[in-house]
Amino acid sequence: MKLDPAFIWTAFVQLLSAIPTTLEITAVSVACGFLIGTAAALVRLYRVPVLQPLASAYVTFIRGTPMLTHLLLILFGLPMLIDSAAEGLGLPFRSVSIPMIGFVYVSFSITAGAYMSEVVRSGLMAVNRGQLEAALSVGMTTPQALRRIVFPQAFAAALPNLSNSAIGMLHGSTLAFAASVVDINAKAQIVASTNWKFFEAYIAAALIFWGLTIAIERLTALLEKRVNSYNRGGVA
Amino acid sequence: MIRLSQIRKSFGRNEVLKGIDLAVEKGEVVAILGPSGSGKTTLLRCINYLERPSDGEIAIGDLRVPCRHPSKQDIHRLRGKTAMVFQQYNLFKHKTALENVMEGLVVVQKVPKDEARRRSAELLEKVGLGQKLDAYPSQLSGGQQQRVGIARALALNPEVILFDEPTSALDPELVGEVLAVIRKIAKEGITMIIVTHEMGFAQDVASRVVFMDQGAIVEEGSPKELFRSPKEERTRQFLQRITPESVYSI
Repeated sequence: MKLDPAFIWTAFVQLLSAIPTTLEITAVSVACGFLIGTAAALVRLYRVPVLQPLASAYVTFIRGTPMLTHLLLILFGLPMLIDSAAEGLGLPFRSVSIPMIGFVYVSFSITAGAYMSEVVRSGLMAVNRGQLEAALSVGMTTPQALRRIVFPQAFAAALPNLSNSAIGMLHGSTLAFAASVVDINAKAQIVASTNWKFFEAYIAAALIFWGLTIAIERLTALLEKRVNSYNRGGVA
Repeated sequence: MIRLSQIRKSFGRNEVLKGIDLAVEKGEVVAILGPSGSGKTTLLRCINYLERPSDGEIAIGDLRVPCRHPSKQDIHRLRGKTAMVFQQYNLFKHKTALENVMEGLVVVQKVPKDEARRRSAELLEKVGLGQKLDAYPSQLSGGQQQRVGIARALALNPEVILFDEPTSALDPELVGEVLAVIRKIAKEGITMIIVTHEMGFAQDVASRVVFMDQGAIVEEGSPKELFRSPKEERTRQFLQRITPESVYSI
């Protein structure tokens, strides 16, 4: 077998149609993961009774099991749960009407949430306690102080790691194929299998992922410049 | 106008404030002195509830806060009547000097932005930082940061400003500029409680000096009384150890 450079281009063009799916999965899981992660981090930092052990268990279980396993558990477990709940409540709704990508969103958000809770926690811990005290001393309520003073600084501190998580979720989204959702990688397999040019198709897929990753890196750099303008830069 | 009654505070089994009574009248400048670990900073932080007293009562103006069962609203009101200048400045790192001073006005006191900006710029001018409005804390020296901190406290127009060792973290050559600013606002009749190790400054600026040791007030009086003829042996020991001869042997 010989490399067919022309087919790389052919595959590349065909793969473009799968980019929105990949981006949607990434965006949803990162956005929801960030919210879940922030909630879990706050619960753990403020040692909220009852919720704290739950949040800790969530983080250790999810980080302790593979992302593909989460997807499979959700894929087979969640429909049972939904159907029995719907049946119990006498609703006509059944899980078969949920598109597969819905399960992917749920599962990957849960995955991302566990990893991001640690990222958010590290960001919050990077903010000196004096910042919160100063905010309270000028008369702010705790929610005001968190929103206006603590979160912006925590976000700036967590940004490099958040971008890492986003890139991780972008690449992890390839697992959606297990739920027969056609992302870039899955599309590459489909394109390749019609004429057995797997290597070329996967090269095209790799290039697209690389491009998307570079875009995330650029976006982070821009954002970092904005939110970090007050810092004279780390140890320098 | 400020009355602390039987303030107690324990960290675990360690009782750091053993029933403090202190009254401060409007316009007074009270300096609190004492060896480290005497509870003076804890006392100051209890006044605006950055530290929760275990017992006692705090009264400022017509607000009375029972420390055993304070409501959230009590604490919030108490903080509205006080302002604090911190040892480590604690300027909001992500905000410029001007924004630091404006923040409380806009967010807490709901002053319109334009007016808040004008008033904040005036105050920064007053503490000698009219040229640094747009500088971030990381671009300012310790002395400049602390002066912003003082402007931030002044902006709130509080009934009392609490100074927690305002010069302890500063390089020696920067102490003077901060003390000069505090001296200047003391003359304007703003009520202040200052925890400090600067004996000369306390003697010079304070209308009353309070000496604390081991969680209790040992002695209080005018600077002259306390520095030149302390009544208590413990006060005398402390002063001898840290005050240069010239200050008290005139």
